[in-house]
Amino acid sequence: MMFPMASSRAGRAMHDRGAPRPPRHQPAGRERSRGPVNAGLAGTGLVADDLYLMAHHELTGRPLLQPRPLGIGLAGALLAELMLGGSITVRPGGVVLAGRSWPADDLARRVRDQIAGEYQPRPLPEWLLFWARTAAVDLAGRLERAGYLMRVGGWVRRRPGRWVSVDPDWAFGPLLRVRSALDPARPFDPREVALAGLAVASGLGFRLDQYLTPVGRALAEAIGYLGPDLRELIAQTQAAVDSALLSHRI
Amino acid sequence: MSRMQAAAKPSAVSRALARDRLGVPAVLFFVLAGVAPLTVAAGVIPTAYATTGLTGIPAAFVVVAVILGLFATGYVAMTRHITNAGAFYAFIARGLGRPAGVAAALVALLAYTFLQVGLYGALGPSAQAQAAAHLGIHAAWWVWALAAWALVTMLGLGRVDIAGKVLGVLLTVEVITIVAETIFGLAHPAGGQLSLATLSPAALTSAGFGTVGVLAVVAVLGFVGFEQAPVLAEEARHPRRTIPAATYAALGVIALVYAGAAWAMAAHAGRARVVAAAGTQGPGLLFGLGPGWLSQTAQWLFLTSLFAAALAFHNCVWRYIFALAREGVLPAGLGRTGPNSIPKAASLTQSLTGLAAIALFALGGFPPMTDLFFWLGTTGGFGILILLAVTSVAVIAFFASDPRGESAWRRAIAPAGAAILLAGLIVLAVLHYATLFGVPPGSPAAWALPAGYAVVAVIGLGWGLVLRARRPAVYATIGLGAHAVTGQRGSFRPGTPS
Repeated sequence: MMFPMASSRAGRAMHDRGAPRPPRHQPAGRERSRGPVNAGLAGTGLVADDLYLMAHHELTGRPLLQPRPLGIGLAGALLAELMLGGSITVRPGGVVLAGRSWPADDLARRVRDQIAGEYQPRPLPEWLLFWARTAAVDLAGRLERAGYLMRVGGWVRRRPGRWVSVDPDWAFGPLLRVRSALDPARPFDPREVALAGLAVASGLGFRLDQYLTPVGRALAEAIGYLGPDLRELIAQTQAAVDSALLSHRI
Repeated sequence: MSRMQAAAKPSAVSRALARDRLGVPAVLFFVLAGVAPLTVAAGVIPTAYATTGLTGIPAAFVVVAVILGLFATGYVAMTRHITNAGAFYAFIARGLGRPAGVAAALVALLAYTFLQVGLYGALGPSAQAQAAAHLGIHAAWWVWALAAWALVTMLGLGRVDIAGKVLGVLLTVEVITIVAETIFGLAHPAGGQLSLATLSPAALTSAGFGTVGVLAVVAVLGFVGFEQAPVLAEEARHPRRTIPAATYAALGVIALVYAGAAWAMAAHAGRARVVAAAGTQGPGLLFGLGPGWLSQTAQWLFLTSLFAAALAFHNCVWRYIFALAREGVLPAGLGRTGPNSIPKAASLTQSLTGLAAIALFALGGFPPMTDLFFWLGTTGGFGILILLAVTSVAVIAFFASDPRGESAWRRAIAPAGAAILLAGLIVLAVLHYATLFGVPPGSPAAWALPAGYAVVAVIGLGWGLVLRARRPAVYATIGLGAHAVTGQRGSFRPGTPS
């Protein structure tokens, strides 16, 4: 299996634009190496950040999915962060707060507050579509602040800039984590299984196929070990993505 | 502000979701963009005049529009209560059982495939004539058909939203052109006297009662695409109003444009001479109605219209394949998406079918305009006629045990009327299929092509029963499309006002 490493020409070009800043996110309970490259490979520890990196080209920063499937997948990942942190849960009437736990991250807190601010619980698909509108920009900003992305281009010819990975190797970190999540010899990690499930649900199965051994059954089995909320979230994300595709609104 | 007042006021989430929803004009535009009107007005109508020898085509469009209006009453009512409402087989699976749903899915796949590949039979000769006349390029029809096929394949694998925008612009220009040709044609009738005879219901039976079925198949072919509004049911701003309004508006627009164009052609050439004129002029029967500049514009637009129709049906077929693969009815590989969120395997499967059809007709030396375009196109229309009739029965069965708040007119009376009328048209069409093709009775093509639907229906029923016995989890999700993964059977429309 070959991954384009930092020694690639494009990778070097990226490094030349500016020294990579070490990620500021240091999630609790997550072991991180000392060097900047290794620290970047470990990721921010947030599902949506990892999915964003997986869904964009590691060198050009271009999205690998159409806007709507991408937004829905990232929205699912934002909700997954809150589910994994025990902040929200799914009840028959819709998504509700699970307790008084507050996420440390600003964006995750904003999502939690929006859910808390509704007088009546809203169904999961509504939250997916609601956050899908802004998730890509919100997450690019979060990753930029964490030192994983940098903005290139700007307002040249009235076109907005785009975000590219500070280090192409870091963009491959999530794929490595998904691979380990699907390795039966390694301990079960719900965060990484949720990431793999949401990646496939968003339409990134082809990307996993490119770099991993065939995952089909192993992934389905691993998802089966997740809690009912995350299983429902992955299924609803896939349904929303497929619906967008079938109605040609992508 | 009290809690009750706050709850009654739409929240920021509701307002944001509502802004993303589609109103009647957007849904109508989506439906009409897939209809490609100039393909029917310049391709189907003149070929139908020439091949069938019947002059009641304008009346057929009006009568079929009324029957389809009756059909749409139950169709849009059921749309409000099911998921995957954009596909006939979903209605049939819910109303008549999942094995019937699988059979309907295969019939629909075959019908839309006939409609799609048939278009290469008109694209090739039309491009050949245009290139020879205006560009001095002389190449066989199949060379141009292959070029169009390659472009459809490429766009089918590319960004769907770009394809949608292209279709939208073409639609607008096409409708304006047809209306202009129609006005010129009606302003200059043969003999200086404008006759309403071809619009009269009596024109349907002028060559015998059985020809009603033949004319109905031609007319239904023109309306194919009107059934697509429920595809956007989950995206509609007001589901109870938007989808029905867009469906009826599409029926009205299509009926008006086609009946008007067919009437203008008959009026301009003269009722007695329109069949002979269509035989010699082909699409020129429409182009000749207006002045030279309009004719030139229409000829180029005819090419783009054929191409737009080929692309629209290509997308329609891969959507069917993708949905069925997601459910597990077809191999899972056909339901996988690649970069850009496009199901490449499903799209390429349809492309291969098109390539095979072009190769078959080119190597066999069969006439492309009649055999490939008209025969396969009308047989595709016949398949849709079958699905319309069975869907009407499915609507009645669906509401039989639980009216779900729908009136008797919507859930029983209108669908029953549509089912009876559509079934009658099917019987008449089968009995006079040779007339439709313009071949002697007993000709192999006149029974083999419609019989193809019976064959795939039996295969579908069998496969449905196999799934029930061997793969009950897959069987349980038949007809759910995108919602197969959640098992959700009721309608879901996020954030829509109640």
